[in-house]
Amino acid sequence: MIQAILDAVSLGGVYALAALGLGLVFGVMRLVNFAHAELITVASYTLVMTHQFPLVVSIVLSVVVASLMALIMELVAYRRLRGSNPATMLIVSFGVSVLLQKVYELVFGALPRSASVATGLTGAFTVGGVSITTASVVTIVLAVVILLAMGYLIERTKLGLQLRAAASDFQTARLLGVRSNRLIASAFVISGALAAVVAFVNVVGNPQVDPRFGLDITILALVGIVVGGMNSLRGSALGGFIVGAVLSLLNVILGNGRVYAYSWMFVIVIVILLVRPGGILSKFATKERV
Amino acid sequence: MTLLEVRDLRAGYGKVDVLFGVSLTASKGELIGIVGPNGAGKSTLFGAIVGTVGLRGGSVFLDGEDISGKRPEDIVRRGLSLVPEGRQIFSGLSVIENLTLGLTGRRDKNGEKGALDRVHDLFPVLTTHRDHQAGMLSGGQQQQLAIARALVADPRVLLLDEPSLGLSPTVVKDVFDRLIAIAESGTAVVIVEQRAHLVTRLAERTHVLRAGKVQATLTKEDAADEAKLTAAYFGSSGE
Amino acid sequence: MTTRLRLQELLGPILIVIAFSYVVGLQSAQGLLIVQSTLALFVMVLALHVFVGNSGVLSFGHGAFAMFGAFASGIVTTPSNIKENSLQLQHLYPFLVNLNLGIYPSFVLAIAAGALVAGLSGLLLMRLNGLAAGIATFALLGVAYNIFFYNNRIGPGSQALLALPPFQFIEEPVVLTVIVMLAVYLFGISRAGRTLRATREDPLAAPALGISIMRVRWIAFTLSGAIAGLGGAMFAHVAGTVQVQDYYLPYTFMTLSMLIIGGGASLWGATVGTLLVTGIGQILLMMEQQKPILGIVVHIPNGTRAIVIALSLVVMLLWRSEGVTQGREFKIGMPKLRK
Repeated sequence: MIQAILDAVSLGGVYALAALGLGLVFGVMRLVNFAHAELITVASYTLVMTHQFPLVVSIVLSVVVASLMALIMELVAYRRLRGSNPATMLIVSFGVSVLLQKVYELVFGALPRSASVATGLTGAFTVGGVSITTASVVTIVLAVVILLAMGYLIERTKLGLQLRAAASDFQTARLLGVRSNRLIASAFVISGALAAVVAFVNVVGNPQVDPRFGLDITILALVGIVVGGMNSLRGSALGGFIVGAVLSLLNVILGNGRVYAYSWMFVIVIVILLVRPGGILSKFATKERV
Repeated sequence: MTLLEVRDLRAGYGKVDVLFGVSLTASKGELIGIVGPNGAGKSTLFGAIVGTVGLRGGSVFLDGEDISGKRPEDIVRRGLSLVPEGRQIFSGLSVIENLTLGLTGRRDKNGEKGALDRVHDLFPVLTTHRDHQAGMLSGGQQQQLAIARALVADPRVLLLDEPSLGLSPTVVKDVFDRLIAIAESGTAVVIVEQRAHLVTRLAERTHVLRAGKVQATLTKEDAADEAKLTAAYFGSSGE
Repeated sequence: MTTRLRLQELLGPILIVIAFSYVVGLQSAQGLLIVQSTLALFVMVLALHVFVGNSGVLSFGHGAFAMFGAFASGIVTTPSNIKENSLQLQHLYPFLVNLNLGIYPSFVLAIAAGALVAGLSGLLLMRLNGLAAGIATFALLGVAYNIFFYNNRIGPGSQALLALPPFQFIEEPVVLTVIVMLAVYLFGISRAGRTLRATREDPLAAPALGISIMRVRWIAFTLSGAIAGLGGAMFAHVAGTVQVQDYYLPYTFMTLSMLIIGGGASLWGATVGTLLVTGIGQILLMMEQQKPILGIVVHIPNGTRAIVIALSLVVMLLWRSEGVTQGREFKIGMPKLRK
């Protein structure tokens, strides 16, 4: 029971980070970056392929690689699309995602690569007679620390203020002097770093990395930002948390029916898009409806 | 001294041209009006000046410097601020956060505190609602916030697009009184208004924009003459 | 993009498709396979054109209709005794086990299944615009995939449907395709089709003219669902063996790419896109397999083909978002010189 709750909170935390990564980029560009999955994947490959190095080095490398990849994506593919209609950007990001998956297949091979990463975290320990997995605790701690750090960044720094303003109204932010290129680049770099954290947590639990490693979690992170509100960074993180926690709990509750948890998630997405397109937290409907 | 000079400006969207050669000037301490029917290109004009709409011809000079086609974030740092139509305050952010964002466009980072103090003196309501969500303010208060937000960047030229939109007559008078004060302190103020009568008696010059061109320019004295105003607004041939 | 019946706009693509089919299809068994699978994909691209091309609203969900069509057709064309004895089909609902239809009646069923699912989901989804529509239809695809993957009472679940009866003659898929092309073109010039395109041009003006956007979109969506059901069924019979993954993301991506690269707004665009992507794909495949093209062997590493197609899609969207044909229909004669 306690493990189930811990698992739900830990999965929620991870998905909050994934959703926040998506939400940051969406906020500044109205772009749903499907290729965020490939950021998670490339960070995972980095972790697996540098597993002989000290863990800290490995993690730092994965952050650097993912952030660089994110910057490249922005410069090469997405910069030209600024101001385009979001549906076009969605297809392009889908295309970039498929493109990168194929590139990974070419470079790393289609078969999974694995290595033991941070084996110290795979055990379990007992507290008050209850057995708890180390991984779930570490994940929760990590997620909380990073979410708090992100919260500080977003709520109390100049950069965060600009990101929030841009998410609300990019055009007006520019009118006030916010430098669009720098801001968007920052959003991408941070989203890359967040992707690396998500990659780390996933690789510890499941060290088999294949070209499609980041796909599932990104799809659910997408659900998360829709649920929580695409126009708000807080909303994205919260939405991601809800999706992760609910999914984890559904797995436990539904028993045999749990395989349909995804379907339920998607149905919830459709309902929210119809009824509260701004997400659960929003107060207004938007022009995304006829 | 001329702070803003627009020469033969042409602009448009996609396949459609909207402005066909607009020229105007605004000098230190002047209040200039731009009026005209819907679709005349008034907002496009401002957009082309600040860089959110692409220039297709002509040029814009700020205090002698050519800023044609520059990006908005660069133009605001040179001293030209726009208060957009509909105010466009960040409703989810607090009043002070909105103002802090306005500071982004300042050239001189040292005077930030002074600038904030000045706008708080000019608009006391901002102190009262400092930490409140901007979306909760009334229309008139939001307009004051929008103007304050543009002012903290210390602009030499202030553009306002339809500042009276959605405001009641008493509030409008209040807002315009402050705009006059701002102009008197040395800033060149250019106001686009659909409700022509609000600016024509206040502005040194009011340009009547119709179908993408300045059809007539009225002075304060002309504005008092109803017939001249109507003729300019609708076209003397009564099109 | 067309407003009345101009024979060359319809006959041009049809003749080209027929020519392609016979020229490539009669060369070898390999060629026949290529033609048949291209035609099956083409029908799917046509389904996308009917909706996405005419309405301007993105849909990631058509794979769902293809799934329903493919499995509906596949299950009823599998003999009962196989259904009772096979591992993956042993849990099927009894009425499905006992229902046996020939290939063409099964296509009718597939069309009906696609239309039904599209019609029902369309009642909800047609309100949405832009990004919301893209995400919602993606969710629809996700639901269908999830259900078919795990439910082995309505289908083989995650396993494959095997030994589906193929087309006997090349004429079969060709005729089916031509009929679909005709239907698509006629819809395009019909009142509903023209009204729908008007809403694409200006979604604000339409309601002002008394046009119900939702209604015309729903009509197109349902029609496209029907065609997608047929496309899925055709693909199943061409491949002989199908699994639910065959209609999921790679299929969605491939068919969307064909539509976008060719130009989603016209029948000609859908045709050009499909043939172009197939053609280039084939050439690249031969290069990967080190087969000679016109006597020359160029070797490229495995996987390059998929990369090139993905790259083409991205480049096309960045550079010429209306595709190669830019929304124009087929026309013989010199293109008008630009002034």
